[in-house]
Amino acid sequence: MSERIKEHPILGVQEKGELVKFTFDGKEIEGYEGEPIAAALKAAGVMVHRYTQKEHKPRGIFCAIGRCTDCVMVVNGEPNVRTCITPLAAGMDVRTQYGVSDQPFDEQ
Amino acid sequence: MKRYDLIIVGAGPSGLSAGIEAAKRGLKVAIFDENEKPGGQLFKQIHKFFGSKEHRAKVRGFVIGQQLLDEADEAGVEVVLNATVIGLYQDKEVVVKRGNEIEHFKGNAIVIATGAAENMVTFPGWTLPGVIGAGAAQTMMNLHGVLPGKKVLMLGSGNVGLVVSFQLEQCGCEVVALVDAAPRVGGYGVHAAKVARTGVPFYLSHTIVKAEGEECVTGVTIAEVDSKFQFIPGTEKHFDVDTICLAVGLSPMSQLLKMAGCKMEDNPKRGGQVPICDEYGRTSLPGVFVAGDVSGIEEASSAMIEGRMAGIAAAEYLGYIEKKDLDTELAALDLALDGLRQGMFAPKNRGKAIEQTEEGIAISQNLLLHGYVADEEIDRFPGVTHRSGVHPVIECTQNIPCNPCQDACKKGCISIGANITSLPIAVEGADCINCGMCVASCSGQAIFLVDEDCGDGTATVTLPYEFLPLPEEGTKGKGLGRDGKVICDAEVVSVKSLKAFDKTSLLTMRVPKEYATKARFFKAV
Repeated sequence: MSERIKEHPILGVQEKGELVKFTFDGKEIEGYEGEPIAAALKAAGVMVHRYTQKEHKPRGIFCAIGRCTDCVMVVNGEPNVRTCITPLAAGMDVRTQYGVSDQPFDEQ
Repeated sequence: MKRYDLIIVGAGPSGLSAGIEAAKRGLKVAIFDENEKPGGQLFKQIHKFFGSKEHRAKVRGFVIGQQLLDEADEAGVEVVLNATVIGLYQDKEVVVKRGNEIEHFKGNAIVIATGAAENMVTFPGWTLPGVIGAGAAQTMMNLHGVLPGKKVLMLGSGNVGLVVSFQLEQCGCEVVALVDAAPRVGGYGVHAAKVARTGVPFYLSHTIVKAEGEECVTGVTIAEVDSKFQFIPGTEKHFDVDTICLAVGLSPMSQLLKMAGCKMEDNPKRGGQVPICDEYGRTSLPGVFVAGDVSGIEEASSAMIEGRMAGIAAAEYLGYIEKKDLDTELAALDLALDGLRQGMFAPKNRGKAIEQTEEGIAISQNLLLHGYVADEEIDRFPGVTHRSGVHPVIECTQNIPCNPCQDACKKGCISIGANITSLPIAVEGADCINCGMCVASCSGQAIFLVDEDCGDGTATVTLPYEFLPLPEEGTKGKGLGRDGKVICDAEVVSVKSLKAFDKTSLLTMRVPKEYATKARFFKAV
């Protein structure tokens, strides 16, 4: 499971926004306001962001700078949101994306 | 439609540098950057840069980034963030996407400073969560403070692979292997050495067979490749990892230039599709300039100089300065740039197998194959001498343009000379006062202070230490050789962290004196 870096030998303790709550697939998690959604998910140990449309294969962070779209999820009902560059806000509803939907494939 | 004298695309080191030079000469400048924060890749670079004082050597990348931002602010450059330039059209019209809006701007001159994107290699399992670009690891660790993983395999031994491997270790990740299909380490020997001495094994002439796991990476298999890069049966090696980092090269993001009609070429030495431009960044389109990695993969120090050149050239193009001033300024910058483009890793030497240093000393083959200089090779180099009392041992064994060590010593113990690619020499007869400044100032972490014989059967070795937790005085542990293997017992004599050392702590360990010339890292047990 992944973690946050508490103190870095060169960067010290990094400034973060306020600790807020949001939900991932309906489950409440905490993250820092303003950090990328993907960072909060990684810190919580989430690896899979979505499953591909055709073969239902898992995908997660790859480039982390908003260029590859591997990390996209359904955020507040909107699909294809690049979680690695979208800032976290309190109360956000983040869901695993199945194809382009938040419904698991057998329910689509 | 808003018009600017100069529109720059990309607020990385080259774009910011171009903006600063242009704005200082009176141009109205806007820089558009698609990211939330400016600085390009600079803010992810936590290591000290190389070069000389004028190249901002010894300064950490993110500090240089902040310096550039402050200068840009002072010069009145407008930096527009979260603004993706999606088109460069006729008559230098720039189309920008901000949020869900499209805006049009006109520039009297344009500088494209969009940098480069990471390459990928594919292998079975490469799409699994856990396979990330090396840049992604940097972004996660250094910008967001999140661990990319616990056990990592790094693919790629160029400077990015080497530097990011060290950064991963600095935040507590275990790098289980550093792998490259090439037969030789691609990046600086000193970067490889600082990784190897912590115990990371190098596997040259190897590459990934497959990544394993169902929902995410749980393991990886590598195997040796022959001279035609075909797998050699029976050489498979397996590692349990949760992360695989790909550091397999960069490609210029030159699409805007191609779209605008610039003459382009496919140049493998420059990284791929690049605009054809002169040495000051002028493309085939009048008024359109380029700077930085987009015109050829190099590094941040040269990107900054190229940016400055492009900014000044744009100022002359628009009549803000005279041609004679342009020529003087560009000549000076050219000298600075040329100073960086020397030595073993100079663009002109790319692809060449260099056997000897400029001084005629045989390059350490072990360094190229395994990431560390072998015990029997180290004495060849002029930085390595033996004498009584504490003295600097400079294990810098390749010609790269870099000289902070010379300036660091107030007693003249280290000499490089006017040619900054020369190997540093440990000056005979110089009086070392054990201040530690050389150890802390070496961006390659290649300098040690050694007292080979304390008189009681022990020796002391002072090494640069950039990890947490800092061991306490008296801590007993092990001394590791250059190869990262445990070779002796060691005890911490002192750990010094002075402001002047800029976050490089100096760890002094006591080892049996027969290991004075071998022990180069400390591990607590």
